Amino acid sequence: MKRFIKIFVICILCMAACCSCSLNTKPISLESSMEIPEDGIISAEIFKKLKEENKVITFYGISGDMKYEWTVFGEDIQEPKDTNLKVEVEKDKENRLVFRLCSEEELGFMPVLSLYSAHLWEADSAVVYRKGEKEPLCSVSVTGNKTSVLNFSVTQIGEFDIKGEKTEVLEAETTAPEKDTQQAVETDPYLSDGKANDGQALSNEKDDGGRVLSDGKQEGQDQYKTDPVPEGKPLPVEPENQDVDEEQTYTCTFSIECSTILNNLEDLNEDKLDVLPTDGVILSERTVTFYEGESVYDVLKRICQENDIHMESSWTPMYNSAYVEGIHNLYEFDCGSGSGWMYRVNGWYPNYGCSRYQLAQGDKVEWRYTCDLGADIGGGYSVGS
Amino acid sequence: MEVVIRLVRNQDAFGSYHPAVNFLYFGVLLSFSMFSMHPVCLMISAVCAATYYVTLNGAKSVKFLIRGVLPLFLMTVIINPAFSHEGQTILTYLPTGNPLTLESILYGAAAGIMMVGILLWFACFSQIMTSDKFVYLFGRIIPALSLLLSMTLRFVPRFKVQFDTVREVQRALGRDTYHGGLLKRMKNAVACFSIVVTWSMENAIETADSMKNRGYGSKKRTAYSIYSWEDRDRTVLCFLIFCGLFLLAGGISGNLFWRYFPSVRGVMAEPLTILMEMTFLMLCAMPVYLERKEKSVWNSFKSNN
Repeated sequence: MKRFIKIFVICILCMAACCSCSLNTKPISLESSMEIPEDGIISAEIFKKLKEENKVITFYGISGDMKYEWTVFGEDIQEPKDTNLKVEVEKDKENRLVFRLCSEEELGFMPVLSLYSAHLWEADSAVVYRKGEKEPLCSVSVTGNKTSVLNFSVTQIGEFDIKGEKTEVLEAETTAPEKDTQQAVETDPYLSDGKANDGQALSNEKDDGGRVLSDGKQEGQDQYKTDPVPEGKPLPVEPENQDVDEEQTYTCTFSIECSTILNNLEDLNEDKLDVLPTDGVILSERTVTFYEGESVYDVLKRICQENDIHMESSWTPMYNSAYVEGIHNLYEFDCGSGSGWMYRVNGWYPNYGCSRYQLAQGDKVEWRYTCDLGADIGGGYSVGS
Repeated sequence: MEVVIRLVRNQDAFGSYHPAVNFLYFGVLLSFSMFSMHPVCLMISAVCAATYYVTLNGAKSVKFLIRGVLPLFLMTVIINPAFSHEGQTILTYLPTGNPLTLESILYGAAAGIMMVGILLWFACFSQIMTSDKFVYLFGRIIPALSLLLSMTLRFVPRFKVQFDTVREVQRALGRDTYHGGLLKRMKNAVACFSIVVTWSMENAIETADSMKNRGYGSKKRTAYSIYSWEDRDRTVLCFLIFCGLFLLAGGISGNLFWRYFPSVRGVMAEPLTILMEMTFLMLCAMPVYLERKEKSVWNSFKSNN
């Protein structure tokens, strides 16, 4: 009996020790959203309350036919003061938006500003410039289903100009003249290894990264339930056929972001507010090195371990790929039943798993969180909707 | 004198209380232990359950706790982090590439303690709430269900005894289930089984008819019972209701808030939380306290003689 009690006492002490160190801060909770008044001034008391109670709030307002929204985390507020959060939109068309922050002094912290455009932008990403300047200020996450939502955080005040950017697609390499050279590739040993493609690959083309591109003629699903890959996009490769050659190094750009959550805070599991990055960016865009034969998943796994970012995945034999369940403790289904992680390479959401996407030099890989089965981040088709 | 009678009648002090009090006590305790994930409450619940279990079953049962229950606890501590990888504090990486997190280990420990606690409380429950107490409590409100329950509970041991009897009789008649060819033995065993099943069905109908004829379930019928409502039952009932309502109110208002994912957060040292933990401790320790008290009273009687 004494021994048993002793064991329990030791357990209590261990747990208390582990817990007490992390208990000092209050968990973040969600405050209901608030409309910005006519003059745009939000009083210092509100900011003080947010800071003291460690809450997150959205302030929203309307300028012309456009809605804008500030997401303010109490923990970010340096010193509470009366702040003018009014935004005036001057122009909003053809992937360009000009707006002005009416505040006369700097905000002192960096809340995320979401602009709900009245139309759909033909852009994968966008960049903020100060009006009249050519040096970009910060990048913008472009999301939205039928109309675009622009998320970014600005440090300065004044007039700004947002320009949308569309990622260059590798279509130049799939033009007709190159077709002749493709016939010669048939004897390429790499291609005859591609068992999964059942000889289909032979009629396909290759890009300069050594990947086989789809000719768009495939019909029906392959053995891992992948629908036909659109023309000009790389075909999936099977991870078990890939040998990683660490001698050959390449670079690609990599980023992880979840700004759609900031636009759907009311759906988010409240416990997860603590891990939600206040600017919606988990890993800002950076150039990373990868080795010959590595897939998007291999690089994600390494990058996350190097940067101490939490990531959980599970191997799914049906799709012959790893499935990323959660990054940075933000899991699938945490922000509504249609939420989860998706990846985009060079502006295209592949319709197969990340272990089957072979990287090539210069690829731009983005991991993005969706709250609506991909529709809100422009990748709805890749999950079949 | 009354105390002496009680101790002769029942080995345990709390079990000698009115069945309604017994039932309500376990109802409050189990539901609270199952829904609270606060580590202090879990610990209180598990330690008190273990103490009460040992009090009921004697020093020998400590062996069961260490050999049977402790491995169960350790298993959950190990198994949970192998499947759950959520949590902010990454300790190391598993061979699969998924992180091993402190939070999932802590959650595993908490779930293990909860499982152990609930298991031991149920073990105590089945010892205290005997089937006659159950029928006494629910015989009038839900006569069919409580009869069904007590009959079902009795079914297995009775069936076994009857099966042995029938087998012996059949053996005497020459239908042996121990000797002879496999096919023949099986045939005889099936015949035995068939006889016992027929018997059990007939017996169930007879029992039901017999109970009905004796007026079981009819409103006007009175029944003799050995349970009486005493002052001490009222005291304990008031205490139970007070504790239950206090804990319920505190739980709803978030004074026992605790979460494990994505980071461990909760209330620990707030005055109201400590008060609630004390209340829960009083509730959990009540049967052991009653037991000790009764024992000391009994011993004082003995020394006087």
